[in-house]
Amino acid sequence: MTFFTVVTRGLIRRPVRTGLTILGISVGIAAVVALVGISRGFSKSWETGMKARGTDVVVSDMGSSLVPKPFSASVRDRIAHLPHVDATCGILVDLMSIENTQMILVSAREWGGFSWNNLKLISGRMPRDAAERAVVLGRTAAEVLKKKIGDMIQIETAELSVVGIVDGNAWVENGSVVLALPIFQEITGNPDKINIIDIRVTPSTTAKDVERLCAKINALVPEGRAVVAGEHISKSEAYRMVQAMSWGTSLLAVLVGVLGVMNTMLMTVFERTHEICILLALGWRRGRIIRMVLWESALLGLLGGLVGVMIGAVGVKFLGMTPAIRGLLEPDVSINLLLISVAIAVAVGVISGLYPAWHSSRLVPSRALQG
Amino acid sequence: MAESYAAMKTGSQPTSIEGADLNRYETEQVTLDGATTAPARYVFEAIGVARMFDDGQVQALRGVNFHVVQGEFLTITGPSGCGKTTLLQMLGALDRPTAGTLRYRGVSIPDLDDPSSYRALEIGFIFQAFQLLPTFTALENVQIPMFEDRLPASGRKDRAIALLKSVGLGHRLNHFPSKLSGGERQRVAIARSLANSPSVLLADEPTGNLDSENAHLILELIIQLHREQQMTLVLVTHDMSVAQRASRIIQMKDGRIVSDRESTVAGSMI
Repeated sequence: MTFFTVVTRGLIRRPVRTGLTILGISVGIAAVVALVGISRGFSKSWETGMKARGTDVVVSDMGSSLVPKPFSASVRDRIAHLPHVDATCGILVDLMSIENTQMILVSAREWGGFSWNNLKLISGRMPRDAAERAVVLGRTAAEVLKKKIGDMIQIETAELSVVGIVDGNAWVENGSVVLALPIFQEITGNPDKINIIDIRVTPSTTAKDVERLCAKINALVPEGRAVVAGEHISKSEAYRMVQAMSWGTSLLAVLVGVLGVMNTMLMTVFERTHEICILLALGWRRGRIIRMVLWESALLGLLGGLVGVMIGAVGVKFLGMTPAIRGLLEPDVSINLLLISVAIAVAVGVISGLYPAWHSSRLVPSRALQG
Repeated sequence: MAESYAAMKTGSQPTSIEGADLNRYETEQVTLDGATTAPARYVFEAIGVARMFDDGQVQALRGVNFHVVQGEFLTITGPSGCGKTTLLQMLGALDRPTAGTLRYRGVSIPDLDDPSSYRALEIGFIFQAFQLLPTFTALENVQIPMFEDRLPASGRKDRAIALLKSVGLGHRLNHFPSKLSGGERQRVAIARSLANSPSVLLADEPTGNLDSENAHLILELIIQLHREQQMTLVLVTHDMSVAQRASRIIQMKDGRIVSDRESTVAGSMI
């Protein structure tokens, strides 16, 4: 028998209570995994979308909203001639409710720009020119909108025809409705406005060159901010808010878990007062008693964490399939996030066990002789 | 003088339990600073020991004086509430006297640097209500005190098996206390009390919860262990027939020792 046997035996003696406590922690940890995974997924999805389009630098003004603020399309001309800029593409994106869908990304791209190049036709064709009132749908968007080639799609008050289904090689791209920039500018009443400029740099450009290019653009263009592709979301105020809310909400759930473990461990200690007194009477040091209680609560946390990350990972997959999220973002459940979540759970266990451990260490061994 | 209890040199008496160093205590005392001193005359020495509760409203012990020598079998007897269990708790460092001096081999028990180590290594407790841990098997219960003895897990197990076999429970190693009879539980408790080869056994009404047949068997077992291993045995009981088995009987009443005498029948029975 090892010390660990003593620790585990303490948990096994009340399997229902131990199970419920583990479930309590796991709900909190699942919330961490799901909410943080989704908020990280939002950033990652944009990043992979950018990479799929071949974009190295993005100019936009994210402000505190989830879509960038529009600015004049002429800004692009001020950037296009800068050193290391290989190509630019003006884009106007928006999150819209189209027909029966809750929210879908509409991406209107400058006709002939490189941001069309990653779209591979699965069926149908691309719009013939910038003036054709037509859209191509990412394959997830087609499923969500339940559209096929030849169907009409209503964006705001305009009716456009679906001419192609495409694979954009990224979650966000596949979840988008893609059309030519002038059509969308007209539909949304934003003539000559864009809210993103995709920049592709020349092949020999180094990371330092990209940094210098961003600085130069930022000096030239007060309407937007140039950042390395993908970072424009993670550095945006809105994303930070979403992330803070995700952590805030999930940590509240974790706090409930803390109270649950503390309650269980206190009950365990109260219930086992006599046993702990026997251990003290038999010569166990107070430090060993404290370690026993802390190990029990840490083990509760660890088990809760492991169950929680499993529930969270499955939950995130499920959430990713819901109509509100599907096609908009790809939940990011990384190994890092899972490890952090389990670490949080173990910390929850240890913190929750501190008071019960302290209480148990103050028991008087002479009580062991009292019956 | 540095407060310590003795690290006694090993004698050559035989032991009956495999792996157990039962004769660590003999003649020489070593203090914490390493100096060798004259041997302590008594295993226990109580001078004017008093214990009060509730700000002096309850006086459990009122100036108790006595001493116990190495290898002695002493019973403390008296009516309920006379203070005998309180006295046993003091000897086992489970409680502290309010006044007076209480020494173990010349070292003040209340001033012990490490009372846990004293309880684990020097003292073996046998309780009336067995006090076994219900979620551990007999084998595991016996190993519980061994955690303070720095033995490897396999060593703990081997020793616990040997101890359980020595009390006749070799066939009940993996039984939980709830599956054992009262007599068997007390045998497990006795094996547990010997876990770290203590020099002193403190037994609080060890036969109090047993039927007469089991009470007799358990008492015989304890006395046998005391004789074979030359352990000092202090046994608290209110049963005079049990008390008579000792070589010396202390009788208590209202927190005082009212008589301290040699047993008249023990000599012929032990």
